Amino acid sequence: MSRHTTTATGRPFTRAGAPSVSPQKTTRRRSFSTRRGLVIAAFMAPAAVFVAVFTYYPMLAGSQMAFRNWNLNNLTNTDWVGLGNFQKIFADPNFYVILGNSVVWVVASIIPQFIIGFALALWLRRKFVFRGLYQALIFFPWAISGFLIGILFRWMFNGEFGVINDLLSKAGLIDAPIPWLAEPGTAMTAVIIANTWYGVTFFAIMILAALQSVPDDVYEAAALDGSGKIRTLFSITIPYISTTLALTVLLRVIWIFNFPDIIWAMTGGGPANQTHIITTWMIAITQRGDYGQASALGLIVVAILLVFSAFYLMAIREKKGARS
Amino acid sequence: MTKRKLLAGLGLGLVTALALSGCSAPAGDGKVTLQLVESLTSPARTELLTKLIGEFEAQNPDINVDLISPPTDQADQKIQQMLQSGSGVDVLEVRDLTVGPFSANGWLSDMTGEFDGWDGWDSLTPNAQSVATAGGKMYFVPYGFYGISLFYRTDMVKDAGFDGAPVSWDDIVEQATAIQDPAANQYGYAFRGGKNGYTNAVLAISAYVAGDIDVTNAYRLKNGDSIFSAPEALDAMDTYLTLFKQASPPSSVAWGYPEMVEGFTNGSTGFLLQDPEVIAAVSESKAITAEQWNTAPMLVGPSGKAIQPLATAGWGTAEASEHKAESARLIQFLNSGDASIEFTQKNSLVPILTGAADDPFYKTGAWASYLYMNENPDVYITAEQPRGVAWFTEWADKADTELQQVLIGQMTSKELLASWDSYWAEKWAAE
Amino acid sequence: MINREMPAAKVVRIVFLGLWLVISLFPLYWILITSFKTPGAIFSYPLTYWPEVFSLENYISLFQKSSFGTYVFNSLLVATVAATVATFISMLSAYVLARFEFRSKGAVLMAFLVTQMIPAFIALGPLYLMMVQLKLVDNRFGLMLIYIAVCIPFSTIMLRGFFANIPDALEEAAMIDGCSRFGALFRVIIPVMKPGIIAAFIFNFVNCWNELFLSVTLMNKDENKTIPTALNGFISSFTIDWGSMSAAAVLTIVPTMILFAFASRYIVQGLTAGAVKG
Repeated sequence: MSRHTTTATGRPFTRAGAPSVSPQKTTRRRSFSTRRGLVIAAFMAPAAVFVAVFTYYPMLAGSQMAFRNWNLNNLTNTDWVGLGNFQKIFADPNFYVILGNSVVWVVASIIPQFIIGFALALWLRRKFVFRGLYQALIFFPWAISGFLIGILFRWMFNGEFGVINDLLSKAGLIDAPIPWLAEPGTAMTAVIIANTWYGVTFFAIMILAALQSVPDDVYEAAALDGSGKIRTLFSITIPYISTTLALTVLLRVIWIFNFPDIIWAMTGGGPANQTHIITTWMIAITQRGDYGQASALGLIVVAILLVFSAFYLMAIREKKGARS
Repeated sequence: MTKRKLLAGLGLGLVTALALSGCSAPAGDGKVTLQLVESLTSPARTELLTKLIGEFEAQNPDINVDLISPPTDQADQKIQQMLQSGSGVDVLEVRDLTVGPFSANGWLSDMTGEFDGWDGWDSLTPNAQSVATAGGKMYFVPYGFYGISLFYRTDMVKDAGFDGAPVSWDDIVEQATAIQDPAANQYGYAFRGGKNGYTNAVLAISAYVAGDIDVTNAYRLKNGDSIFSAPEALDAMDTYLTLFKQASPPSSVAWGYPEMVEGFTNGSTGFLLQDPEVIAAVSESKAITAEQWNTAPMLVGPSGKAIQPLATAGWGTAEASEHKAESARLIQFLNSGDASIEFTQKNSLVPILTGAADDPFYKTGAWASYLYMNENPDVYITAEQPRGVAWFTEWADKADTELQQVLIGQMTSKELLASWDSYWAEKWAAE
Repeated sequence: MINREMPAAKVVRIVFLGLWLVISLFPLYWILITSFKTPGAIFSYPLTYWPEVFSLENYISLFQKSSFGTYVFNSLLVATVAATVATFISMLSAYVLARFEFRSKGAVLMAFLVTQMIPAFIALGPLYLMMVQLKLVDNRFGLMLIYIAVCIPFSTIMLRGFFANIPDALEEAAMIDGCSRFGALFRVIIPVMKPGIIAAFIFNFVNCWNELFLSVTLMNKDENKTIPTALNGFISSFTIDWGSMSAAAVLTIVPTMILFAFASRYIVQGLTAGAVKG
């Protein structure tokens, strides 16, 4: 088999339904395999050029700050300091607290986002009255920018004048107002609630779009087998869209890790660093002008996410390999 | 092939568009265009600046001014990019916080030459003149000053059985505690625990050591130690924390500027220590009427004195500007005569022009307390804040975090003061 | 089709969907009624869940005080062009990455993924200098170029996932029928991919529509500003202009909601079973 047919594997439909490769086709492939390189280059070129010029060049040019004494408060001496900025970060006990916060922030945000988003997507497949309108309405949180969500929730969570405390006490759930953003535990809860509210849409849309690619006959076959709904979900639906699911989760992890907007607007990392994640801390450091240290922190973020992605992708590949 | 054509077309389009946009027509009529960048942007102020610029352009037909108004939160970063690239900015808003770093990087032009012989110089107040020529260089000319006074609810104070505004920090603890009634959603003091919350803690500490303070550096005592090392500082912190525990909204650990102001203007808190810009916001409030509030002078410490931390901002010229003479003309226009008076009054700033404070505007209502403080400089001592040092933003970040640690019980006030003292002692020793 | 639903499951579904609707909409409702309150009533306490008077003051002053119409136009223009071009370019690259094996493929994918990990501020200085040299500062076209570059990696990764879900059989059949690869892509694959492509476009559009950081840095004049810059402008260092901001936020959300309403139909209906069965 020529190499380029191996990509689409691991899905029941292909395995079950792909027609066998005919001799005629094999010849055909070989005949244009010389043009393969051209096709790849032509299709890839625009994306590669844009990303190289407007993303990679400035990022690489900017990363040198991480290895220099680059402080906006005094740029007269921007000497190379090697790994000095990194050492400063690793020597700061706050770094480890904030790293822990980042993990809590990612994990506690992504799990409810994924579950609610998945449930919405599954249930939105079923036709019901005003489904279009319903979808448009529940998709709207994604249409708001992170900073606006942050400001909005900062006021809704305000201890004394906030609408959330007002509603909770009207419902009889609390006796005294909760000073949400003033205490470490509740502050983290509040920012995670805001982020969950915001991020469910992303999962719902992505999963809904992916579910559309599951052909009905796969379900029909499952129904004929007498599979229950739950079993169909786990044995047919999820494996079928697993590529999309896996990538969606990976992208979300990267994004949430790198998403300071909501926290920055709601708590600024407070009280006392308790809601700082690495990227909000980075903003705080840029605001005091130390671009060298902030860039170093940025590269640490990249390193952490790269390692995570590598393990994640490996785990997925292994799991897939085991299944097929 | 379709795709080739498409790609070629796309590429061609890009190149053409690049070329077209590359030749943005330079003004051929000999006019000079100045780029003016503000940083403490607000819609109302931008409107006012636009109007003043219009007047300037009418008087100077050879000069065009483009006003660039980035949102406040992102403004400094944008201005830094512009200054670093050496393009796109002629006149910019320079603040006491930014003048140090900006001038150290060689981004600001020393305007001494351009301002030599300016007829408006003599009408500046001594304060404004000394800020403008600090360190022997004229990196910016202030457009006004920000001072602090105490906003208070006359009705709440009266209902709680007091016959006047608190004068000292001890008074406010007593009054605010009496006013505090969480069940009725009524709180004593609009405490600032969030961003820049340290400023009010420093205010209390300064008041307690006011007599010993070095007026050229408000963080230093006359004996050279930091104000945080004084034994009185601990008393100040204890009083300040009592104010928080007994008489402030519990969630004010996280309150920044907007929450404090909103807490006062929506009628739920009795006291607010703030700059005069708040006057406009409170006047617009429909929750409290003009009879329900007033301002009082700053709170004094046990010695009966207080430190007025005058903050300032003004206009400067970028070193990279090719139109320094025209830039100076614009700054001179903004900082003199009716333009300056209108700017300071509409922005609720302490004026830079001598005699401007004699205007009836500054004698009435809420402004009266500023006038009173001005007239009693021995009690309300003006001391220069060390806001120009390179590490000041780092300090602000550290101080905010540690104050919050004290508020949520992760640190004692003694540890806080020790940490703040050693921070400044180290910085000064390294200077 | 899908087998019948048990009554209990139906109750769970309806309760869940209803609850989530309320949760999703409440903040929107809050912005909406705030935008209709008079400036003085916004912070009255106790809270009012229904304004006594519906005032259009905030909306009127928004258009009187600022060139809000211009900002909306700029955002629409920049976001539409950038999202369209980026989605198209990403379709090509995603297709190649899903269908071909080549040596640098893993590296390319990783390179795209890494762009999602790097904080933008690192790139800001060099990017600004580059745009100054290209004379593209304060220029909507320049902003579009950068937005296109920002959108490409994510939509490529996303679309690649969707391409991978589509069986090879489909285009192989088309190519046997005499279509070129490009032809097969457009005539056969794209129609099947509609939900994914529309989802990618929406995400690109929304990202560009809400982007603040680059827009603030690169745009100067009022006539070139986009909505997020204007929205942020209502937060001054002294106070937050809630009335204007809520009104602006409502007007900002409306176009995206229309887009969602329009597109969500395609996301659901886009894929026809028949096409896959081919």
